[in-house]
Amino acid sequence: MLEVHGLTKRYGDTVAVDHISFTVQPGVVTGFLGPNGAGKSTTMRMILGLDRPTSGEALVGGRSYAASPAPLAELGALLEAKAVDKGRSARNHLLALGATVGVGAERVDELLEVVGLADVARKPAGAFSLGMGQRLGIASALLADPQVVMLDEPVNGLDPDGILWIRGLLKELAAEGRTVFLSSHLMSEMEQTAEHLIVIGRGRIIADTSMAGFIAASSSNHVRVVSPHATSLRNLLVDDGVSITSVEPGVLDIEGVPAARVGDVAAEHGLTLHELTTVEASLEQAFMELTRDSVEFHGATATTTSETDRKAA
Amino acid sequence: MSTTTLTQDLDARPSLLGRTAAPRTSLARVVRSEWIKLRSLRSTWVMLAALFASIVAFGIIASAVASGSVTTPGGAPAFSGASPVDTVLSGANFGILIVAVMGVLVGAREYSSGLIRTSIAAVPRRWPILVGKLVTFLAVLVPTVVVSVLISFFVGTAILTSAGVASVTWSSAGVAGAVLGTIGYLAGIGVIGLCLGALLRGVGAGLGVLIGGILFLPTLASALLPDSWDSVLKYLPSNAGMSFTSVESVDSMLSYGAGLAVFVAWVVLAVVGAVVALLTRDA
Repeated sequence: MLEVHGLTKRYGDTVAVDHISFTVQPGVVTGFLGPNGAGKSTTMRMILGLDRPTSGEALVGGRSYAASPAPLAELGALLEAKAVDKGRSARNHLLALGATVGVGAERVDELLEVVGLADVARKPAGAFSLGMGQRLGIASALLADPQVVMLDEPVNGLDPDGILWIRGLLKELAAEGRTVFLSSHLMSEMEQTAEHLIVIGRGRIIADTSMAGFIAASSSNHVRVVSPHATSLRNLLVDDGVSITSVEPGVLDIEGVPAARVGDVAAEHGLTLHELTTVEASLEQAFMELTRDSVEFHGATATTTSETDRKAA
Repeated sequence: MSTTTLTQDLDARPSLLGRTAAPRTSLARVVRSEWIKLRSLRSTWVMLAALFASIVAFGIIASAVASGSVTTPGGAPAFSGASPVDTVLSGANFGILIVAVMGVLVGAREYSSGLIRTSIAAVPRRWPILVGKLVTFLAVLVPTVVVSVLISFFVGTAILTSAGVASVTWSSAGVAGAVLGTIGYLAGIGVIGLCLGALLRGVGAGLGVLIGGILFLPTLASALLPDSWDSVLKYLPSNAGMSFTSVESVDSMLSYGAGLAVFVAWVVLAVVGAVVALLTRDA
């Protein structure tokens, strides 16, 4: 388990992380989501003891990470995939890292096999692609069989095959009862991997909820109806707190009425329905809606996108 | 690399790790880790070979020139005014640059790649990393320096003796002290270089300060500043070093013992500075 209590990091006048608290539970994959510059990496660095918090603390398995007798066996982390010496082979990189907790060549060779780098294990890591670097970083995170795994943007640079692989790997690790905490700004990836979400924006936690709950809470959820009697149906459903839009004739997007109620109303009045669907917002839509105000640097396109999303909803 | 493979691997893990004895980090293990890092870089061995070759080759060439068996283009034997010890150990003047580069590289290299953050995450107490680097670096540097300095001393003095020019033996006054002092000075500059590299977190900055500020600036300052400054300048690392690496004593220099003590103090200061910076700064 990973706990963060009142963690704060200030750089001069800038507050990078503003008194955040959360708990990452074992057994599920927890996603750490936020726009660039929201404080994801700073938080992860403070958990690892790389950056000293201005105040607050992070606990790994109930104690400070630095106090662990075998840090690598407590928490395995991947922060920067390319943070390896270009002149050293992947195998020697892992051997050196493993030596700090007594992990030897047997385990290193096994892991190189698991992450698919066995063939290039003895080549200098400087020649690795970004995807190979990520695989090496994941191997170093898993090296000492840690109970907590923390990965910063692990799918960066991975090919589709690699993305599928890491998705399975992370779920597998969580199913074994490990605590899996990963950050990403790739919504679609996060949506398919994480069960729980912690959303950070401008250094503050703005959501700490299950993935399903997060998406369900989004106002982008709606019911789509296709009917030749769309206009009649619309007049029947119009009420306070109900918003109905129509993107094309015969199609209604209804917010504020559950699909079952729409079906009942149609049946009562003998209106034919060709389609009745509950459309869930994507994580991306839900996220955009939530973080609209907490994005540090608004680009023109980002604003346009969120506006479009809102109108579409 | 299916998930099935992974599950099997995870299941097999306890036996591989010997989970009966929980893994622990220790200073010895961190030193071992640093040793794997040092030995797995080709540059370590290339630079050690270059260090050995330059100390021995320059020493022998200088001795041959001083003996008159080889003449300089001008015809007159060079080094004729230098003391025999300085002549046979002249390779150390070039060797010191290689030692400086090696030391800074060992100390700063991980900062260039970002690997230092992985290292610190693995050893959050941090100071054992620096101790590991110092121990392993000295473990390869000192034997190389000892062997190359002793070879250049004995071969060099043999060349001088056989040519019938002024020479010395190991038991001549001050000779053993100067030879051992040279070995100690080279090792000490290596330590200062490593610490500067770690302190300044960059190869360029570390080398600039070490070679420019510590090795050359004092010499330049002695030449340019009035004599009254000598009482201060003699405490600088390279000037203090001169007092215990040569048999000749110069009035403006510290005595052998005082020079050695001052130099050791500089080395200790560099180590303490690097440790404090490592412990207190964000990585």
